[in-house]
Amino acid sequence: MSTQILSRRHFLKSSALVGGGVVVAVTLPGCSFDGELPIDAADTALVPNAFLQITPDNKIIFYCPADEMGQGIRTGLATVIGEELDCHPSNMTVEAAGSHEDYNNPEFGLQLTGGSSAVRVFYEPLRQVGADTRALILAAAARDLGIPAAQLSTDNGHVITGDQRYPYGDFVVTAATLEMPTETPVKDASAFKYIGTHFARIDAEAKATGTANFGIDVDLPDMVYAVVLRSPVAGAKAVRFDDEAVRRQPGVQTVLPISSGIAVVADSYWQANQAAKKLTVEWEDVALMAVDSTQVRADLSAALDADDGVEAASEGDFEAGLAAAANTQSAEYFAPFLAHAPMEPVNATLRIEGDRADLWTGVQVVGAAQGLLERLTGLPRENIRVHNQYLGGGFGRRATLTHVVEVTEIAMATGKPVQVLWSREDDLRHGVYRPASLMRLEAGIDANGKVTAWQAQRAGGNVTPETLENALPALLPSMPDGLLGGLHGAVEFIFGNWAVDHPSVEGLYETYSMPTHTITHTTVDHGLPLTFWRSVGHSYSGFAVESMMDELAVSAGLDPVALRLKNLEDKPRMQRVVQRAGELMVAMEVPEGHHLGFASHSSFFTDVAEIAEVSVTDGKIRVHKVTCVVDCGTAVNPDTVRAQLEGGVMFALTAALYGEIDLDKGAVVQSNFHDYPILRMDEAPAIEIEIIDSGTAPTGIGEPGVPPLAPAVANAVFRATGQRLRELPLRLA
Amino acid sequence: MITFMLNGHQVVFNGDPQTPLLWAIRDEFKLKGSKFGCGAGLCGACTMHLDGTAMKTCVLPIAAVAGKTVTTIEGLGTPDSMHPLQQAWVEHNVPQCGYCQSGQIMAAAALLAANPDASEADIDTAMAGNICRCGCYPRIKGAIQSVAINTLGYDAMAEEAAS
Repeated sequence: MSTQILSRRHFLKSSALVGGGVVVAVTLPGCSFDGELPIDAADTALVPNAFLQITPDNKIIFYCPADEMGQGIRTGLATVIGEELDCHPSNMTVEAAGSHEDYNNPEFGLQLTGGSSAVRVFYEPLRQVGADTRALILAAAARDLGIPAAQLSTDNGHVITGDQRYPYGDFVVTAATLEMPTETPVKDASAFKYIGTHFARIDAEAKATGTANFGIDVDLPDMVYAVVLRSPVAGAKAVRFDDEAVRRQPGVQTVLPISSGIAVVADSYWQANQAAKKLTVEWEDVALMAVDSTQVRADLSAALDADDGVEAASEGDFEAGLAAAANTQSAEYFAPFLAHAPMEPVNATLRIEGDRADLWTGVQVVGAAQGLLERLTGLPRENIRVHNQYLGGGFGRRATLTHVVEVTEIAMATGKPVQVLWSREDDLRHGVYRPASLMRLEAGIDANGKVTAWQAQRAGGNVTPETLENALPALLPSMPDGLLGGLHGAVEFIFGNWAVDHPSVEGLYETYSMPTHTITHTTVDHGLPLTFWRSVGHSYSGFAVESMMDELAVSAGLDPVALRLKNLEDKPRMQRVVQRAGELMVAMEVPEGHHLGFASHSSFFTDVAEIAEVSVTDGKIRVHKVTCVVDCGTAVNPDTVRAQLEGGVMFALTAALYGEIDLDKGAVVQSNFHDYPILRMDEAPAIEIEIIDSGTAPTGIGEPGVPPLAPAVANAVFRATGQRLRELPLRLA
Repeated sequence: MITFMLNGHQVVFNGDPQTPLLWAIRDEFKLKGSKFGCGAGLCGACTMHLDGTAMKTCVLPIAAVAGKTVTTIEGLGTPDSMHPLQQAWVEHNVPQCGYCQSGQIMAAAALLAANPDASEADIDTAMAGNICRCGCYPRIKGAIQSVAINTLGYDAMAEEAAS
């Protein structure tokens, strides 16, 4: 029998968490593993805490609690802990932490990497861990050497007395017998040896030689490979499928229905991929099938026309502020659905052996992956190890764990080690997306450019309820499905009707001092899975707000930089950033036919201004150069700050010029890089970056470079052509 | 049965001759440095050298390499003995996520082997087939230029022949 009828049964939802914004600011009880540390160490090694292991031969291992997806966090946090431990980051072995509550992001109470938060939230805790561990080594050295600790110093992993250098490893046996010091004073910034200096990323060599291990590179003995055929329309289950032809294909071992579709398991990925093309599946009907992109746009417009949004923030009397204005403007801005398209398609490899499970993957939510495995396999949590690999790009995509659900179901059904690998087509068509957003802004300014009234209305989907729906099974592994469903239903109802999901409206007014503002939100959800995408709500709110600021300046005949400065009088850090960027802009020599556009936006506690130099030829927008000024507090690795701004600009420019996920009968139209193009080298602008170090604690850098780019380009295009482009991607009439 | 030279060694592949070279190299020969990004020859993550020319191998049937010479990132240089471009990649802190970088380096090495004094326009043209989603382009270009300018007697073709 080759045709199988599938019963409608309740499959577990995939699991998703955070990619960008601050989402869960409370600790969910029971969602983090609190058993033994997932650290393999010899008896002779010192494991003073969850973050460090020091061996007798002075190998200093740092277990990095944040996931490396390109943002340079292994180097960054090694720099922070190494500064106080007194060991050069390049001399440490940095490994991805396993799942344990000690690695929780202190702000989220969960083990997740997102929201441009890692350096900001781990800066103080890891400095303390480093300082306390150094004090422990010094105490042990004092005892072993018979010299008072006060007469000892340290340098790069060694204890120093006179001209003698002793590796830290010499003292680990004694250190293991001593009580761990606490609250050891940390360094004054003036004494920093590594923070703020330049050195090679600790993963640069591995990534330049093809020796860095990504999830896709895991290769186990007797491993089988699976590809999954999923419904073209999100959420539809398979009703029946015909696998007769598939089973005759070379290398095919089995075909089996799983929660997300039909899995084809073969001896190699290529065989599975080819065989799956012979599979025919009938999918159930779902409401999303009636939706296409024009419908989405019309529904968003209708939602704003109804003018009954939920209030997200309000101060002052908007009508009075408008009446007091010398100049008013109103406009509507649109941003489409977007995919993350990380270069490494999502994948996971799982081996279940007896009562033990080992998962190799690259995710932004290691703890959730472990919880999900506990839920699906029923194995005790302490027997489940998650070996997080380098992530081949994240951008928010790798907080969703559909692939972990898939690999678990297939491994349990086949009893074999299995790797699930998505194709690029799978990635673009069956992913989780940045929500499409329509924003209507109305604003007034007085004769000096001071904003007297500001209103912003946004319609679109929310990322938090969807994220929670997907995450709860992983975070609360022992809660029954029925209760979880109820919990999720409540969250969705609340955000759909009463409260505003913060990421939906973030950035719509906060950059400036706008004493009179009204921000409202209307949820419009078509059922396409949504999630965090690099800079989250700021990715569209920055476009709307910074375009409007430019429109106000143009209509009033004011300088766009001066207008912004006028509204930053009690935001001194951003005011300084805008001031400096304005100075650079005035001094620029702009070639004939090139035009400048300015935008500034605060996100993730970081202030960024960008100037785009643009030309338009035969209707084609070309961005020649982008100049960025940033204040992200202490720049732990200044070169990483630069790299993240460079990357943020390129990521945002791809979205500004090309980014668009369309729906046709509910199915995503785009399928690969020919119709979801990514910026290439011959289109990449030169980038100049100036870092203003205000000396404050470090703030986010992975995302804040994204929001100002699209409006800076659009504002330049207006100067080049007189056309005001209010829709992304930017297209000239 | 397909015989070819892989990183200086003669190897034999007995599987389906339609198997793309990328998957044979990764799954049969267990060299994991070359990456899968699109499966359609659009992104360049799978770039290797075929007789010294940069090729996208996710769409290249292995039958096409019979009797030829294939070089992967592993054959270009190792952490202990890096190719000048790999050194430049480290010096310029090029990689972010790093997933595309094997392909970028292989494309760049083929370019400089053929054109050691590559201009910026030459680099743009030769590298336009390789996507970097992290947006490392300015650093990739800078690293290539640093090697192109200081050719140092470097000859990628000779190194490959010797490997």
